[in-house]
Amino acid sequence: MHKENHRFLFLILIPAFILLALFIYFPIFKGILIAFQKYSFYDLSNIHFNGLDNFRAVFTDSNYRFAQIIFNTIVWVFVSLFFQFILGFILALLMRKPFKGRGIYSGLVFYPWALSGFAIGLIWAWIFNGQFGVLNDILLKMNLIESNIGFLSNPKFAMASVIVVNIWYGVPFFAIMLLAALQSVPEELMEAAKIDGAGPIKRLFSIIIPYIKPTIISTTLLRTMWIMNFPDIIYAMTNGGPSNSTNILATQMINKILKFYDYGQGSAIGVIIMFILFTYAIGYLKFTSRKEDFML
Amino acid sequence: MKTFLKIGKFVLLALFLFMAIAPLYWVIVTSLKGDREIYSYPIKYWPQSFNLDNYKYLFQISNFGIYFRNSIIVSLVASFGALITSTFSGYALSRFRRKRTKALFLLAMYFTQIIPTYMIMAPLFTIFAGVQQTDSLMALTMVYISVMIAFSTIMGKSFFDRIPIALEEAAMIDGCTKTQTIFKIIIPLSLPGLAAIFSFAFVNIWNELFLAVMLLNSDSKMTIPVALNSFISKAGVSWGVLSAGIVVALLPTMIVFAFAQKYIILGLTAGAVKG
Repeated sequence: MHKENHRFLFLILIPAFILLALFIYFPIFKGILIAFQKYSFYDLSNIHFNGLDNFRAVFTDSNYRFAQIIFNTIVWVFVSLFFQFILGFILALLMRKPFKGRGIYSGLVFYPWALSGFAIGLIWAWIFNGQFGVLNDILLKMNLIESNIGFLSNPKFAMASVIVVNIWYGVPFFAIMLLAALQSVPEELMEAAKIDGAGPIKRLFSIIIPYIKPTIISTTLLRTMWIMNFPDIIYAMTNGGPSNSTNILATQMINKILKFYDYGQGSAIGVIIMFILFTYAIGYLKFTSRKEDFML
Repeated sequence: MKTFLKIGKFVLLALFLFMAIAPLYWVIVTSLKGDREIYSYPIKYWPQSFNLDNYKYLFQISNFGIYFRNSIIVSLVASFGALITSTFSGYALSRFRRKRTKALFLLAMYFTQIIPTYMIMAPLFTIFAGVQQTDSLMALTMVYISVMIAFSTIMGKSFFDRIPIALEEAAMIDGCTKTQTIFKIIIPLSLPGLAAIFSFAFVNIWNELFLAVMLLNSDSKMTIPVALNSFISKAGVSWGVLSAGIVVALLPTMIVFAFAQKYIILGLTAGAVKG
């Protein structure tokens, strides 16, 4: 009976794994191979292995400095993550206790999660527009600036601008996840601490945070990977410019593929991203040592 | 002190709400303004006259109706496909008794969540080119199902885990086959979870840009994100028209989110992977 059951379970797993094999595992395997091949859409008759040439080309490309792209990626990932988390946590704490209209409120404040990164990028590109953008108008009216700022055309402001948009997009995710985790903090424990004289800050650090630590660890890790793999907003707003000031690994990879049709070099960047993320994930999990939170 | 805290809380909540809604307000206002109004000073925070010219123009200069239809079909079919496939795979992963088998399959699912989606763009293109299936909505749909399977399976598993096996065993004693127990016990008991899987997949697929750009190229096949992308470089597409396009593009996911918010949140927190 158990053995028969086992066979049945394998049988119903087959459709999912056939699709995964055809459209995920095989392409990934092929993508890794392509990273070590000369593989350009313009020259499809001449595809061959070329060792580490693609990586060398990516590192020494004269259109950008590779060190700058790595630096941009780090800034993009960690500054976004930091503010997404802090603001999302604050929002979740504000929403922890039920209040009138909380359902509608959460619908209105969480909706950015459901939008596409690309559309969000376009919306904000218009808000940030250097000539007719509404943000410049507001800042001028408040006398905070004296003349229009080219938020997306000035290399000094471009990265900060796209990060602001990414933060706006990511706050609902953290708020949703942390709010759900906060519901598991026992109210009696909070009340007891209150009676013992623990202030709000004390309660936050000695009860709430330890209680939801597994959620904090898993969401921040997953979000780091996701932000790193998320070129949509930058692609819509600046496409890496001006003068590479917002160019991150992911946008550079998209450009290699969609603009230069150089699948070899594009895939090489993909391999670099995967390598970084794997190392990061393993290190992060070792450091926080809570692997089991993911597996269940 | 207490009222002070309350007011502070209220102000903060209002601030978050304002920040969330303001950009949406602005894109809608822009889409209702005429070109002359959009590109003039001082900036109007309320349109002088509501006109739908941008929307009319959007459907005139492009086949936006067709893109919309394409997006709807692809998103519905692919989310439904992902739902069916992962109901079975999620159930299987939930019920495996051997720990190692279970862990292995789960790991195979989690692995797909770490890899960058665009890593498979070029290979998929060459694979479909090899079988003359580029520029095919069918091919794109298959890819979308596959992209969503892992997350949907993990979500499904976590929902099925909550259904006691005793229920199925009782049904089997009453003469149900294994397939029947899935349809008569598991599925009816996990409808909220299945709604979560479906709405989650729909939102993600509706919003997907890069795979669609890679795999589609003729105008009649475009999905909405691809069309918006092509507008950026198209002459004569003003911010008004683009805003109208964005509003139309946002509508379906906003509607899905409004109705399925509860389920989406349920799914996000149960699966806790991508999003």
